Amino acid sequence: MTFLTVDNVTKRFGGLVALNAIGFSVAQGEIVGIIGPNGAGKTTLFGVISGFITPSEGEVSYDGHSILGISPDRLVWRGLMRSFQIVQSFADMTALDVVTTAALTRRPMREAIDYAAAALLRVGLGGKELKMPLTLSLQDKKLLELAKCIATDPRCILLDEVMAGLTMSETAAPIAVIQELNRQGVTIVMVEHVMPVIMRLATRIVVINFGEKIAEGTPEEILKDQRVIDAYFGDHIDA
Amino acid sequence: MKQEFYDTLSSPILWGVLLLAALLPFALSSYYLHIVTLALVYVALASSWNIVGGMAGQVSLAHSLFIGIGAMLSSALLLKLGINMWLGLVISAVISGVLGAMIAWIDFRFQLGHLSFVLITLAFAEMGAIVVEGWEFLGGASGMLLPKDTGDFLAFQFGGGSGSFWVMLTLAAVCVLVNVAILNAPLGFYLRTIRDNEKAAQAIGVNVLRYKITAMVISAVLASVVGTAYVRYLTFADPYLLISPVITIEIVLFATVGGLGRAYGPALGALLLVPLGEVLRGKLGSALPGLHYFIYGVVVIAVILATPRGLLPLFERQWERWRRS
Ligand SMILES: Nc1ncnc2c1ncn2[C@@H]1O[C@H](COP(=O)(O)OP(=O)(O)O)[C@@H](O)[C@H]1O
Ligand SMILES: [Mg+2]
Repeated sequence: MTFLTVDNVTKRFGGLVALNAIGFSVAQGEIVGIIGPNGAGKTTLFGVISGFITPSEGEVSYDGHSILGISPDRLVWRGLMRSFQIVQSFADMTALDVVTTAALTRRPMREAIDYAAAALLRVGLGGKELKMPLTLSLQDKKLLELAKCIATDPRCILLDEVMAGLTMSETAAPIAVIQELNRQGVTIVMVEHVMPVIMRLATRIVVINFGEKIAEGTPEEILKDQRVIDAYFGDHIDA
Repeated sequence: MKQEFYDTLSSPILWGVLLLAALLPFALSSYYLHIVTLALVYVALASSWNIVGGMAGQVSLAHSLFIGIGAMLSSALLLKLGINMWLGLVISAVISGVLGAMIAWIDFRFQLGHLSFVLITLAFAEMGAIVVEGWEFLGGASGMLLPKDTGDFLAFQFGGGSGSFWVMLTLAAVCVLVNVAILNAPLGFYLRTIRDNEKAAQAIGVNVLRYKITAMVISAVLASVVGTAYVRYLTFADPYLLISPVITIEIVLFATVGGLGRAYGPALGALLLVPLGEVLRGKLGSALPGLHYFIYGVVVIAVILATPRGLLPLFERQWERWRRS
């Protein structure tokens, strides 16, 4: 049974084709990795799935229903949650306030505060509840994005480079959280540049380049795919 | 609702302050009682504006529209149609709430940026003023004189003086407590995320349209009710005072000086600045015309430069020090 399906989605920004007839599907409980060079269209793809961007063509369905035209907050309510690559912070709220707001999606006020505190503890931000998100380090900001996701009790989360910029040891906490969420049945789609992480976590990988899907398969298959090596790893070697 | 709200409601400090304030009519001359009553009107108005302008960060200049509807429409209903002013208060509040919802919807539907929102709400306020001044039913440009306040409670009369003071004290307390309640309820969390980052608010499940409308409706209804009480206190429904965008500017000023988005900030601003303005006018108004405005302006600019987040943080720090010692 597919849980999330992206079917033939095209998104044009004026003349620029950010997504070109892209399609793939995700089964419930899977961890799917999305990789591709910078500018490949990964963030745009998440924008389309999460309701922030209306595609020029194509269809997205989630939990058996088309979700095109449904607002992002409704989707959160239905369990589809995203994180932002560019960390979104709130200027005048503490970390706890922000995560509490996320927890209010499904919980009354008093419960939401405790639940938010627990989510912060779980991602490793215990003790930083009253800090302003803007004053957090990059690592902590990313962990806060993750805490926001957890607090809404999602069924499916889209993680956009939550580990970019972290050292190998700093990735341990978010990896553990992602694995635990997945064990609890949460479906995970993640964009990540940190190869060892995605190779370890993902059961399946979709590779996109210039808005098109160029490969799809298990991490082992992807590592051997010549087009992926050319498009993705070649790009990195050149750079 | 967070525990803090119930703590505030059951706080002896709150009730002590209210009780002491309620005794003021026995201690003040009628001149000073008038100034304090006026300050309370602005405490209520600035606190009601704070819900949209402070918490949700949307600088709405439409507030005079709601105050004006509360004042001019309820007066017209009484004078032209003989409708009891209590009922007029309810009718005006409902119309203000509906207009508020409409403005919030337009803002969302057309994704107005901050500047467009300011301009659109100002346009609504100007339209309100034009309608009132051009329509005899609402008193036209010359306004309306209400019947003498004989203290008949059932006719929305409080007897002026101490009676009106107590009404304003109640309204001010209600508006401030509504602020406290919202900030400790989910709505307060939603509004603050909307103020800071609408897109990120949506991404954590906040229904931006619904809560923008909710905030605007609460704010508009409160402003309208205060408008009705204010016109009853003034007895003269003056369009140039009650439905002029100038009144909104004053309110925004008080809220900013006191502390935007905070429960007690706008109240603090109004309590300090209204008496300051009145006393300056009384003492200097005849000496050199305009001098009191000048001094007032200098004080306001100094405060905003010295403490951009308003006076409330200063008071809070002092309060903490006092409590600890
Ligand atoms: N709102 C936008 N308007 C115009 N072009 C955009 C917009 N968002 C993304 N793009 C372009 O679409 C392409 C894909 O961007 P993006 O989805 O951010 O890539 P990735 O996340 O894979 O690095 C890039 O060329 C980018 O410049
Ligand atoms: Mg990206």
